[in-house]
Amino acid sequence: MKRTFTCIVCPNGCEIDAEYEGTNVLSVTGNLCPKGKTYVTQELVDPRRTIATSVRVTGGALPLASVRLTAAVPKARIFDVMREINQKTLDAPVHIGDVVISDILGLGSDVIVTKNVEKA
Amino acid sequence: MTHRQAVIIGGGPAGLAAALRLREKGVSDILILEREQRLGGILRQCIHDGFGLTRFGESLSGPEYAQRFIDRVQQEGIECITDCTVLDITPDKVVTAVGRSCGLLQIRADAVLLTMGCRERTRGALATPGTRPAGVYTAGVAQNYINLQNIMVGREVVILGSGDIGLIMARRLTLEGAHVLGVYEVQPYPSGLPRNIEQCLNDYGIPLHLSHTVVDIRGRERLSSVVVAQCDERFRPIPSTEQEIPCDTLILSVGLIPENELSLAAGVELDARTRGAFVDEHHQTGVPGIFAAGNVLHVHDLVDFVSLEAEQLADSAAEYLLSGSLPECGLEVKAGQDVGHVIPQRISGTRDFTLSLRVRRPLQNVSVVVRQGGREVLRRKMRKALPAEMIQLPIKAEKLTADADMEVCVE
Amino acid sequence: MQRYDVIIIGGGVVGSAVARELTRYRLSVAVLEKESDVCTHTSGRNTGMLHAGFLYKTGSLKAQCAVEGNAEFDRVAKELDVPFKRTGKLLIGFTEEHRQRLLAMIERGRANGVPGMELIDRARMDEIDPSAGGNFAVYCPTSGILDPFLYTIALAENAAENGARYHLYTEVVGCGRLEDGSHVLHTNKGDFACRWVINSAGLRSAKISEMLGIPGYVIQPVKGEYFVLDKKAGAFAKIPVYPAPTERNTFDTHATPTVDGNVLVGPNSFNVQDGEDYSVRQIGMDGLQESGARMFRHMKREYYIRTFAGARPKRIDPATGEIQDFLIDRPDSVPGVINLVGIESPGLTSALPIARRVVGLIREKEELTPNPAFNPVHRSIRRFHEASREEQAALIAQNPDYGEIICRCETITRAEIVAAIHNPLGVSTVNGIKVRTRASMGRCQGGYCETRITALIREELGKAVGDVRLTNGSSAMFTGFVKGGDQA
Repeated sequence: MKRTFTCIVCPNGCEIDAEYEGTNVLSVTGNLCPKGKTYVTQELVDPRRTIATSVRVTGGALPLASVRLTAAVPKARIFDVMREINQKTLDAPVHIGDVVISDILGLGSDVIVTKNVEKA
Repeated sequence: MTHRQAVIIGGGPAGLAAALRLREKGVSDILILEREQRLGGILRQCIHDGFGLTRFGESLSGPEYAQRFIDRVQQEGIECITDCTVLDITPDKVVTAVGRSCGLLQIRADAVLLTMGCRERTRGALATPGTRPAGVYTAGVAQNYINLQNIMVGREVVILGSGDIGLIMARRLTLEGAHVLGVYEVQPYPSGLPRNIEQCLNDYGIPLHLSHTVVDIRGRERLSSVVVAQCDERFRPIPSTEQEIPCDTLILSVGLIPENELSLAAGVELDARTRGAFVDEHHQTGVPGIFAAGNVLHVHDLVDFVSLEAEQLADSAAEYLLSGSLPECGLEVKAGQDVGHVIPQRISGTRDFTLSLRVRRPLQNVSVVVRQGGREVLRRKMRKALPAEMIQLPIKAEKLTADADMEVCVE
Repeated sequence: MQRYDVIIIGGGVVGSAVARELTRYRLSVAVLEKESDVCTHTSGRNTGMLHAGFLYKTGSLKAQCAVEGNAEFDRVAKELDVPFKRTGKLLIGFTEEHRQRLLAMIERGRANGVPGMELIDRARMDEIDPSAGGNFAVYCPTSGILDPFLYTIALAENAAENGARYHLYTEVVGCGRLEDGSHVLHTNKGDFACRWVINSAGLRSAKISEMLGIPGYVIQPVKGEYFVLDKKAGAFAKIPVYPAPTERNTFDTHATPTVDGNVLVGPNSFNVQDGEDYSVRQIGMDGLQESGARMFRHMKREYYIRTFAGARPKRIDPATGEIQDFLIDRPDSVPGVINLVGIESPGLTSALPIARRVVGLIREKEELTPNPAFNPVHRSIRRFHEASREEQAALIAQNPDYGEIICRCETITRAEIVAAIHNPLGVSTVNGIKVRTRASMGRCQGGYCETRITALIREELGKAVGDVRLTNGSSAMFTGFVKGGDQA
């Protein structure tokens, strides 16, 4: 089978023409680096994405602290992850790197704060 | 009136990087003026990841990327005044600014660094027909409400324009429970990066309609629908292709414009193509001692390159401040075939510099060719070249001559 | 039921002028305005022109009121503290036919009492404004430009300061009589009673007239579309430039500088059914681009910052379709009503003269006692960007809010926004703040300041997220919180 993938690993956004059988990649062309092949393989086996959103902060100088995942999670679980994050409220202060949820839904990824929010 | 060596207008990614490099180069007297309460510029609201891959080798969110620079600026003790808006810069480099706590400041600067970033094109500039209901936002404004203020702008969303912020907002809105009905782009190709088409639209099943635009906006109080239509190659809607889409929100991501009102006041001449200043290889504008870098100079697609460009600016600004002058740049750099614009527009021909350019249209299997007086200086083969992606080419002094203008074209 | 001596239906420039002139007397006065603010319809959607009065039929109310209103406006602008420039005006011509019409216009102007009109050649035009198109022109020195929002707001606020009550979001849906003969007005906010009703409902004046028991008037809304150009284009525009009038004595597209330094190009002119439909059409804008370029040599796409539309409520003769003069009437058939129908251009110029005529008609029926507390002087919000650097420093020292720039394009400070939010009429929409301060009227169209203005409205007025409105009706800006549900 043949398919063109747009690699999302870096801003180059290589268009990779891949030939594969099932989840077995036979050949890739168009990638500027080896990460392209890894990406295509991952896409065939278990496509994963990171997401970024916010968590409500009480008593902070800002109403929200931005958060992101430390590792990609299965694409199909993104909205489950969002639901879980939406349950959370933090108390100020919070700082970059603070873990909001560790190993979210057992997916091997932490939700961490990406913005410092001091007390109001 | 006080006197400072270097005044930096804007504490976003360009201003922060320039300040740090100036300090490294031995400039002691630096002042950053920032109109927001906090440093970091637009990165404060760009909470998605993907920043810093070039710079730090990891994928950071905008606020994290900014914080790395902010922390260092604070460690270095570089003076910043936040909540302080510059009202005017004169050609002899008197900066007038106001702020809540600083009052009205007038500062004579030896060097002024323009790092004000850019603003969004609006519906008014497009002259989109229709009514003027609530629910029409530019992508950056929607991003501010959603990511900084915890305010949801709408539920049923149409996006006009496929700029990167629009794509990012398509994903943000979807994650936060809105329904993004589609992205409409008047050009026959997307204006955002391919990876954003993939991970912001395709991942969430949001359709991208190329060669389409919004031809009518309806609703008296809140937006009730938009009418979209297919466009011909001259961007005119094709009759009988109109389709009405009920929605409560229209997000515009139709281009960014360097924010150069202050530059104009200072007598800086602008390039109609970039809408930023004409600069030489030192990032110096036509006004001696006034420099520009980052999105105020030309709109970038990656912040990593903004930081890099600002550092190059600072290298030159430091030299200007410490040695009193910079080499003449008497040679013109011209944008030739299929090249939208080039930065810098003037060079000396005696020093290394980085050439930045964008192609006019999507191209495949082409070469970017740089020539001086007909002689080939550099040739870079590219499998694809997209208007969405800025191309940067380091050029070595030993390849240059000091007696012929330069032309850049795509062949 | 609330009871007043006089109730004015419609808070446009004329209704507000009437309210203000009535507060010179010991009368309780109310204005019922169906929208979120004054001047959201015809009064705020026009060229902002102080007309000289040469266009209208000699002896007509339009001619009399315009000439009267024009002559007094320097004093009025000073009294009400509103921006105004007596720019003069050029009516330009290209052909011999144009020249003949322009000469006729000078004659009519003379008959109407308009001073100083003269035919000038291209050389004189270049001295006055080289960006004007045309081969020759009539120069009319008394024409001027004003800010229609700030003028209407100043009249309304001055009326309110002198005791008039403004009821916003209050729409008259029916009329009746009480046993004592006074009028009762049914509205969505309950019933109001009064001795006098002033119908100043503009586009709806015929409809209100009918509700009051005076049928038979026909209002034809005539819509016009406009471009607003950047101040960079405004640098070229010194004087309003109009084309020679058409055979029917109307004007096509003109180019007019605004008091703030922008340029308006428009309007075109076409009949519509629904006068409150302010959508702009592609075909209309295409036409304006072409006709505008004939008037103004710098009509370029890069200068576009906005488009808008307005509608003039023209009273027409139902039999012939002819456009009629202003109607200022106290019908004998329905006592206690002053009927203002078909007040269109030059309504802005004529507002105070019309208001004085309304007062005169009431006075013929009852004695009016002067209100000793009446103060004709109104102070507008202090504009930071118009102050000198020394004054600016002093303002910030006094009030740090002057040091916080909210609108970068127009240099509008937090102090001005906060003053506008606490306006005497109780207007709380984003557009209301915009027209009072100019915040978000610049080239970025709110890209920088809108998020700050909505935050200040919430903060200063304690409004919930869902209650922040752009303009009229339920124009909610937001649907709720991102995190924490829709309970906003």
